[in-house]
Amino acid sequence: MTTTAIPTPATASERRRAGKYLTFFLAGEEYALEILAVNEIIGVQPITRVPRTPPYVRGVINLRGKVISIVDLRAKFGLEPATVAETVIIVVQVHGVPMGVLVDRVSEVVSIAEGDVEETPSFGADVETDYLLGIGKVNGRVRLLLDIERVLSTQDICQMPSIADLQSE
Amino acid sequence: MRLMQVEPGDMESIARAREALEQISMHASLSAAARETLAAAALAMRDATHDAETLNRIIADASRAIEAAMRGTLEDAVRATSVQASERRSPSNRASLPHAVRQPQRDEPLPADADRTLLRDFVTEAREFADEAQAALLALESDPDDADAVNTVFRAFHTIKGTAAFLGLDRIKVLAHHAESLLERIRKGAAQCAGVHADLALRSVDLLRALLDAVDAGLDGAPVRLPDGYDVLLEQLAAPETATAGRALSDGVAGPRRDDAREMPSAAAREMPSSGSRPRTPERDAKNTVRVRTDRLDRLIDLVGELVIAQSMLAQDEAMRAGGHHGLSRIIAHAGKLTRELHDLSMSLRMVPLKGTFLKLARQVRDLGQKTGKQVELVVDGAETEIDRHMVDAIADPLMHMVRNAVDHGIESPAEREALGKPRTGVIRVSASHAGGSVVVELSDDGRGLDRERITRKAMDAGLIAPDHALTEREAFELIFAPGFSTAQAVTDVSGRGVGLDVVRRNIEALRGRVDIESAPGQGTRFLLRLPLTLAVTDGMLIRVGAERYIVPTAHIQMSFRPERGMLSTVVGRGELVMLRGELLPVVRLHRLFGVEGAVTDPTAALLMIVGDSQRRTALLVDELLGQQQVVAKPLGSGIDAVPGISGGAILGDGRVGLILDVGAVVTIARHTPTTEHATHVSRSVA
Repeated sequence: MTTTAIPTPATASERRRAGKYLTFFLAGEEYALEILAVNEIIGVQPITRVPRTPPYVRGVINLRGKVISIVDLRAKFGLEPATVAETVIIVVQVHGVPMGVLVDRVSEVVSIAEGDVEETPSFGADVETDYLLGIGKVNGRVRLLLDIERVLSTQDICQMPSIADLQSE
Repeated sequence: MRLMQVEPGDMESIARAREALEQISMHASLSAAARETLAAAALAMRDATHDAETLNRIIADASRAIEAAMRGTLEDAVRATSVQASERRSPSNRASLPHAVRQPQRDEPLPADADRTLLRDFVTEAREFADEAQAALLALESDPDDADAVNTVFRAFHTIKGTAAFLGLDRIKVLAHHAESLLERIRKGAAQCAGVHADLALRSVDLLRALLDAVDAGLDGAPVRLPDGYDVLLEQLAAPETATAGRALSDGVAGPRRDDAREMPSAAAREMPSSGSRPRTPERDAKNTVRVRTDRLDRLIDLVGELVIAQSMLAQDEAMRAGGHHGLSRIIAHAGKLTRELHDLSMSLRMVPLKGTFLKLARQVRDLGQKTGKQVELVVDGAETEIDRHMVDAIADPLMHMVRNAVDHGIESPAEREALGKPRTGVIRVSASHAGGSVVVELSDDGRGLDRERITRKAMDAGLIAPDHALTEREAFELIFAPGFSTAQAVTDVSGRGVGLDVVRRNIEALRGRVDIESAPGQGTRFLLRLPLTLAVTDGMLIRVGAERYIVPTAHIQMSFRPERGMLSTVVGRGELVMLRGELLPVVRLHRLFGVEGAVTDPTAALLMIVGDSQRRTALLVDELLGQQQVVAKPLGSGIDAVPGISGGAILGDGRVGLILDVGAVVTIARHTPTTEHATHVSRSVA
């Protein structure tokens, strides 16, 4: 019998944040998501638009016979639409179901120790921070650690904090 | 016959003993029960984790069974193993069976040493036996002298008893034992399978199911709950003549005689003369079947579906179409043929006959007849019609609901029927057949039919339609599918709570099927369910709207044509109608509904596709038909909530995803937008 064990999602606060992260760029800023959530990285392919869906749902693609939905993270975070076509889809596992996330480009895999993570500061009511596990600082670079499950299972995110905001703190 | 003693590590002797047991268990001279007992013992020995003591006990049990069987006393064979088993599990239960369970604990865990795989297999198998027993019992109601049916029930309980004893499931064993004793008396002619006895036997089946459910839940870690009424039923089984529950109340006679049977509400299923004159006792065809886990089967079918798509992508590849590769094309064409065959075969693996569902209906009709004091007979035809396993599960509830409605609202009371010059016993017919790639299930009754007046009045009271609103017959019948509608005069235990046919329609439409209704006052009502053979593969028409492609299930398409200017009319600037053979139909512009850019907006340069069922037809404006295609329907993936108008996605020949149109929803959307309300209004005034 083959069963796929799906780890139950822990809340951001009780989750251990140290570990390996895949980092990627979105509108010039670097984000990171836990490598354990990542299934694979694929090139952009023809996306079938699905009518009557929110603007951040780009549509669906055929991933080796499976239909998976593609979420445009720029649109989801309320960022400017990309000027050049995105190149990469990161396929992540959310509640046991694969989903595609459209990003500008993938950067690297980094190990982040618990000591490298800072709590997300509050930015006021307009800026949502629920979707962040924290701020990772490694080798002088700042990355926003995303709680990807939360990002993808919530309807709308008004605005994400930008690294520029963080650095002005 | 003597079997050896074995040492714990002596795998060879164990294997030899097991082989011997297996061989003996296949010996034809033994009775079925003895063979089953031995086979169970052999199976248990396969589990290598037993210690020597357990093994020897299994062997001892088995040899006792063999000895007993050789003496020809079958009963003893099973009892030998059952008593052994109960002593082993709970020494206190050593006393005679009924007393041993007088004071059972309500909840108890499964035996700690229970083999879970064996238990699971047992639950599955015992459920099948329960179904068979119930079918046979219902057959017995119409023909109490059917010895085959009595034997089937007896055998079912007998086998369950043996295995349950072996597995240490004492409650099931005790129940099965008592039920078996009851059947034994019927078998020997000491009692008739009618009235109290039939009722007790059926209730035993129900309780057995409840016990099995409890074991099933126990396997998932829940405590094994003792179903209500266990003790009571055991007592009644021990002394059936004094039982006063169930139908015995309505009879007022204990130990009914043959001539009483005619007077009682009877609801036995009988086959139509065309498909056999006698109720057939279900036969187990164990030798030629293999049990496969359904998830593996589903995975297989998924993979084959993907193979079909991969194959068609290969065949349509540019390099192939350019020509010049004759040898290769031939091979690919051959592979394509094999793939299609494989696909057909794999689909057929998941097909199951509707029989099981229909049998449940028979039981329901029987019980409802008793509850409502009506005499109803269920006539079943085409129970061997096969349909996808998932569909069987999905249509069971809607069918039950419709049967419940038919008994409660449709069929009149015996007195009423007599006064109308109808036979006292009402007939509900359920039949299934294949027709053009779909399965048609028809459910009709010979009751009072739909009362148009009453439906209209009721709908006005409920505020569903405006007062003084004249309805056509079709529109009136359509109302019974409206949410919150019920014509039952009293809210009864059976129906009339207003949760009803709207759910049925929704369920059937979710299966990409449809419901039609016909009714004549005083003559009855007929529901026609048209369902796809399988949910996995849809026959679809690929259409183009702008640069986008959609799949419309072929079952919903009535026709397509390019309209002429004169057929079209516009209402209040927005609502569009097309006049087709004297009927005005609302036009839905798919490009507008789905926000597609670059589509043809002039209907006379595009196509109108008439979709829907006979009662709710709508014209869809599409650019072009691209051709027919079988598609494997898949969910759209997470993050996309139910999209109105889209039922799923499918991988097309070029590897891209195409969206499957949910015709029912599109028609509903079209009818609920203000433009089409104008349209219906106009259509009425024109008509």
